[in-house]
Amino acid sequence: MNFEALVNYIQSTPLVWLILTLGSFKLGIIIYEKFNKHTLLQPIIIAYTIIMSALFITGVSYEQYFKGVEIIHFFLGPATVALALPLYNNLKYIKSLFIPILLTLVVAGVFSILIAVVFLWALDAQLPTILSMTTKSITAPIAIITSEQIGAIPSLAVGFVIITGIIGALLGTSIFKFMKIKHDTSKGFALGLISHGIGTARAIEISEKAAAFSALAMGLSGIFTAVFLPLIIQFLKGL
Amino acid sequence: MLKGIITLLIFQFLGECIAKLFELLVPGPVIGMVLMLFFLILRKGSFPSLDSAVFIHLRYLPLLFIPAAMGIITQADIISKEFWAIFISLLFGTIIALAFSAKLMDYLTIKQENKK
Repeated sequence: MNFEALVNYIQSTPLVWLILTLGSFKLGIIIYEKFNKHTLLQPIIIAYTIIMSALFITGVSYEQYFKGVEIIHFFLGPATVALALPLYNNLKYIKSLFIPILLTLVVAGVFSILIAVVFLWALDAQLPTILSMTTKSITAPIAIITSEQIGAIPSLAVGFVIITGIIGALLGTSIFKFMKIKHDTSKGFALGLISHGIGTARAIEISEKAAAFSALAMGLSGIFTAVFLPLIIQFLKGL
Repeated sequence: MLKGIITLLIFQFLGECIAKLFELLVPGPVIGMVLMLFFLILRKGSFPSLDSAVFIHLRYLPLLFIPAAMGIITQADIISKEFWAIFISLLFGTIIALAFSAKLMDYLTIKQENKK
């Protein structure tokens, strides 16, 4: 028996990290479903904790880990393209409320970025943090590729995306009650616009119409932000 | 499902090519997404193989961003230094933005209804 060869193999194969990543995500899904899909128990949070502990214990660096699971990262590209289908399926709702949708998308979309940036700026945060905050309301795959584009820190950006999603999903219903929001379409649209996929999962519980408008807002704001944010930031950097 | 996966990859490829060729700042996959949206509008719908390819990608979407998300372990410095700024910005930024978006959408919807 050649134990040395075995240890060498285990240390060098990407399989270990692939199995750990897929396995911990699966475990995350099982726990999430056991607890009736509680917002705080997002599968990714559970996977995060497990993988982070494994990296700490083994002392493996992030670069080594990333190399092992790069194949998973690759699929962010086709997954972004895939987002066109749910957007297409909900596109028919645009016509009924065209002006409200367009105005809310642009005005509230810009406002949500500004308010978060102003808070950070007022509290003396550094530029990389501020840049990473600008993509917090769009769906994670688009946030990752857009944050790479604008010189932000993608991992920080994803973290902000997930937390924004969770806050919105947890507090959304109370906020809507407090603000006396009348239409389910408004609730859904706001959830999708601010809290992307996690907000949309929440909107499904409000009504079918809310879910459709949430998915619509998520798709539109993803495209809107990815198109204009890099342009605006390049312009600001040039000043 | 293979035809569907090929379709997604081709649109991503086209998007990336357009971004490179015209030196666009928009990420290539997002251009691919817009191209596929136009494709679906022109075709007036999807096809079963594309449906299943999309389903499998979106079903496990959070899994796909774990590799990028784990990079957070290299950012412990920023997070510990700017924890409160980040915390306040995320919490209050999200609450205010959510309240504002829903109210604006509601206001505009009611205004449109009254016009009719």
